[in-house]
Amino acid sequence: MRLLARIAVLLLLAGVGTGLLALQRGGSQRGGSQDDEYGSAREARTYSPDDENSRSEYTWSRLRYTAAGGGYGGYGYGRGGNWARDYPKADRQFLIALRRLTRIKARPTEQVVDLDSDEIFNYPWVYAVQAQTWTFTDVEAKRLREYLLKGGFLMVDDFHGASDWERFMSGMLMVFPDRPVEDLTDKDEMFHVLYDLSERFQIPGEQYVYTGRTYEKDGYVAAWRGIRDDRGRVMVAICYNMHLGDAWEWADDPRYPEKFASLAFRIGINYVMYGMTH
Amino acid sequence: MFEFLFKYPRAVFSKGDLVLLGAWPTWALVIFLLAAAAGLAWLIRSRLPQASPHIRNWKSGVIWLLQFAMAALVLVLLWQPAILVAELRPQQNIIAVLVDDSRSMGIADTGVTREAQAVKALEGGVLDQLQKKFQIRLYRIDGGLTRLAKLDELKTAAPAPATRIGDGLKQLAGEAADLPIGAVVLLSDGADNSGGVDLDTISMFRSRRIPVHTVGFGLEHPAHDVEINDAVVPPRALADSRLAAKVSFHQRGYAKQKSMLTVRDGDKVLAARQITFAPDSETQNETLLFNAGPAGAKTVRFTIDPLQGEENTANNAVARLINVESSKQRILYVEGEPRWEYKFIRRAEQDDRIVTVASMLRTSENKIYRQGIDDPKELADGFPSRVEDLFGYQALVIGSVEVSYFTAAQKELIQQFVDRRGGGLLLLGGRASLGDGGWGASSLTDLLPVVLPNKKGTFHRDPATVELTPAGADSIITQLVEDPARNVERWKKLPYLMDYQEVGTPKPGAVVLAEMTAPNHQKFPLLITQNYGRGRTAVLATGGTWRWQMSQPLEDQTHEEFWQQLLRWLVTDTPGRVVASVPNQMLFDDGRVHFSADVRDKNYLPAADAKVEAHVLGPGSTAAQIELSPNPNAPGTFQADWSADQPGSYLAEVVATRGAEEVGRDVLNFARMDGVAENFHTEQNRELLEKLSAQTGGTYWKPQDLSRLPSEISYSDAGITVRDTKDLWNMPAVFLLILLLRSSEWLLRRKWGVV
Repeated sequence: MRLLARIAVLLLLAGVGTGLLALQRGGSQRGGSQDDEYGSAREARTYSPDDENSRSEYTWSRLRYTAAGGGYGGYGYGRGGNWARDYPKADRQFLIALRRLTRIKARPTEQVVDLDSDEIFNYPWVYAVQAQTWTFTDVEAKRLREYLLKGGFLMVDDFHGASDWERFMSGMLMVFPDRPVEDLTDKDEMFHVLYDLSERFQIPGEQYVYTGRTYEKDGYVAAWRGIRDDRGRVMVAICYNMHLGDAWEWADDPRYPEKFASLAFRIGINYVMYGMTH
Repeated sequence: MFEFLFKYPRAVFSKGDLVLLGAWPTWALVIFLLAAAAGLAWLIRSRLPQASPHIRNWKSGVIWLLQFAMAALVLVLLWQPAILVAELRPQQNIIAVLVDDSRSMGIADTGVTREAQAVKALEGGVLDQLQKKFQIRLYRIDGGLTRLAKLDELKTAAPAPATRIGDGLKQLAGEAADLPIGAVVLLSDGADNSGGVDLDTISMFRSRRIPVHTVGFGLEHPAHDVEINDAVVPPRALADSRLAAKVSFHQRGYAKQKSMLTVRDGDKVLAARQITFAPDSETQNETLLFNAGPAGAKTVRFTIDPLQGEENTANNAVARLINVESSKQRILYVEGEPRWEYKFIRRAEQDDRIVTVASMLRTSENKIYRQGIDDPKELADGFPSRVEDLFGYQALVIGSVEVSYFTAAQKELIQQFVDRRGGGLLLLGGRASLGDGGWGASSLTDLLPVVLPNKKGTFHRDPATVELTPAGADSIITQLVEDPARNVERWKKLPYLMDYQEVGTPKPGAVVLAEMTAPNHQKFPLLITQNYGRGRTAVLATGGTWRWQMSQPLEDQTHEEFWQQLLRWLVTDTPGRVVASVPNQMLFDDGRVHFSADVRDKNYLPAADAKVEAHVLGPGSTAAQIELSPNPNAPGTFQADWSADQPGSYLAEVVATRGAEEVGRDVLNFARMDGVAENFHTEQNRELLEKLSAQTGGTYWKPQDLSRLPSEISYSDAGITVRDTKDLWNMPAVFLLILLLRSSEWLLRRKWGVV
């Protein structure tokens, strides 16, 4: 009896633990994407090139930040924090396009960079998503400000609606308290450095496949915005009310419209090219 | 003493010829001498067996020698030796006495001015003694030659700003061609502003056998003085450029002491550095870096602060002219792939108001992205294929571009761009650059300052640290800190480069300014420069200097400064189609100017058929228009001589035209400064005075020996002379020699016991 009781307690504990783990996994998936026949084995199909660790001129770097109310989180789809949305498949698929369509000698794999060390200064182009959740310490804000003023470039993607904008700006104001955010016009060099992108439209996330909506939350109108340095060069490129990362990630999904993926690639490439020339 | 022993002055022996006045022939004297030598030898030898044993050795030889010397002397005297010498006829010859009256003769380096010493020496009896024998003509020599009626006129005359001894002597030779000039006496410190006495002048005196006796005044070495020897600055500069001036100086009496070396534009201090003096008379060189400032013709002044007790402070400063230009300089930057170096080079150059970079970047296989272009058509077809398109730039920067990207014609154009056009070429390291880009096996390999390694895989994406070579410590390209030693330390502290490339070995004549150390501790040249043809080339064996921008504090300007200096070096000396020049921008006491201009057509080939004029503006209302004539020996070069008669600054604009078409124009500046050169080299130039007297048959005299001059000056071949015979047999020295020989033999015989 005593042995049976002990076994019963162990089984109970094991059952409770398994349930909690399952709940945690489901929670993170809500922040990521839908669970379906394409997404369930996403990690396994993420492109892993042979020369992933080769040294290159350009390294796609993704900014890892501390999200409001949480830590860094882990890596990869379904396990990461907000900084890791669409990571690493979006990054790697974008790099395939970048390497194929330009003369940039780019590393085929991404690099995660943090604001808590000077390592970021070795990567003068950085990509951040879900920026409505980012938070900075004073030291981090100062490091990002100096990074940008020295010649670094920041592309921000995947946040939607007025509430997200407000929270994004609370972080951005720590970096640049007095630099205005401007709407980029069609004439801006950003949209002509490689491809002429005068005609742009809202690029939806994966949810478009299921809902047919190009917007999320109340972010009905896509906005291409930027923060300029003293010479008028864009140093922070803000892709607001759109989700380029998803478009890159889902570019190989036959249900995701090609026109969104195509424009997303061209915008991303132009932004990289602009960041390497201005 | 000399005259007591030898009866006559030295000049008699130095200028006269030895003769034997005896009736018997000279050959008879030789026979007698030989006979005497042999006879004495036979006599001594025949008596040796009877002599004491201890004298049968070298001692007998000494006895023979003394006896023979005595016999020889007597024999020579029997033949009546004498000196035949030309002597000036009293009162029939003129002695020209030239007194230097330039400003340097006013220096009182021994408590009394040099001129006062000269006057005192003349008035102390020398002039009176000369006047007893000769007619005296007094002259004042400075920039020219002026005759004086009496010495007092010298005292009242204002000192001249310069001395040109050669010109003065030439004038004297011309004016006195028909006069019986017996000798010239020049009293001077030897300070000459024209570079010495030319051979023509020397020949004029030698042909007339007129000796020039020189009397030197002034200390040969000042006890306490600092003097700037020279300051070398580029005559042209771009506005706001950093310039390097090489200042050389020496001192006496202040070894190990410190002073300040300063360069000023007017009252504005451009740069200053503390200097520590080297041992006495040793030439020191210091490099002073300063900003050229805004455009315009400038006179910069280099000074060393005077030290306590310095005898001459006027030689502590020199002035130099710089023509600071503001014309836009354009660089074409060709980059084969998007990379960080491209972006950060462009950013570093953005603040340069003079140098602009037009760039073409190969973004994809079939697209070129252009930045910094002046016209939508510029570079629209890619790298220029026409001379006029490429030669419009002053320099060319080629990044990670394989050499096969250029056609054969474009490669020829690049070569001509440097060689003929005189442009600058900079090649950067990269994965398609230099050796990895096939440049080593191309027709452009001659342009490179290095012999590229004959292999691939020379580009490494590994970190490399940098350091300066001695040549780079004070180069204007690599100067981040003024002090060379601190500059070397500054470079060692720079962040590592992101990558590096092996570039082989530097060619002879190339200069390595910086090196880098790979992770395996192997060292490679990083920055190498050389001159090629009319232009210059350089290799920077990395594409990773951008880390100097990203990895240093935001306010640090190292990256910007380095690139601005490197790119300015590339363009600064790139000539325009008209290049005007004068041999010396600073004219000291002499206004003669020789203009020359090099004129090129659109293809930078000599434009021999151009018409070239110089429009000169000078002090006051000086204005002149001078036509330069073609130099038949050098097509495309033109020249003209002109004289800047007034002291002051001059500006000349040289314009070349071909019919109605203007080929180009150039501006140069020069200045005439009177009375400045006299403040330099103020110590007595004894070398010049000795050389002058030796070449003309005269003698160099010290002032204290001048009392002998009147007696010695008589012996000259110039003027109206008489040949005089001076007997030598009755010289006291002869009798003393006879006594010496006899007494020596007697004493030796006594000592050796053979009396």
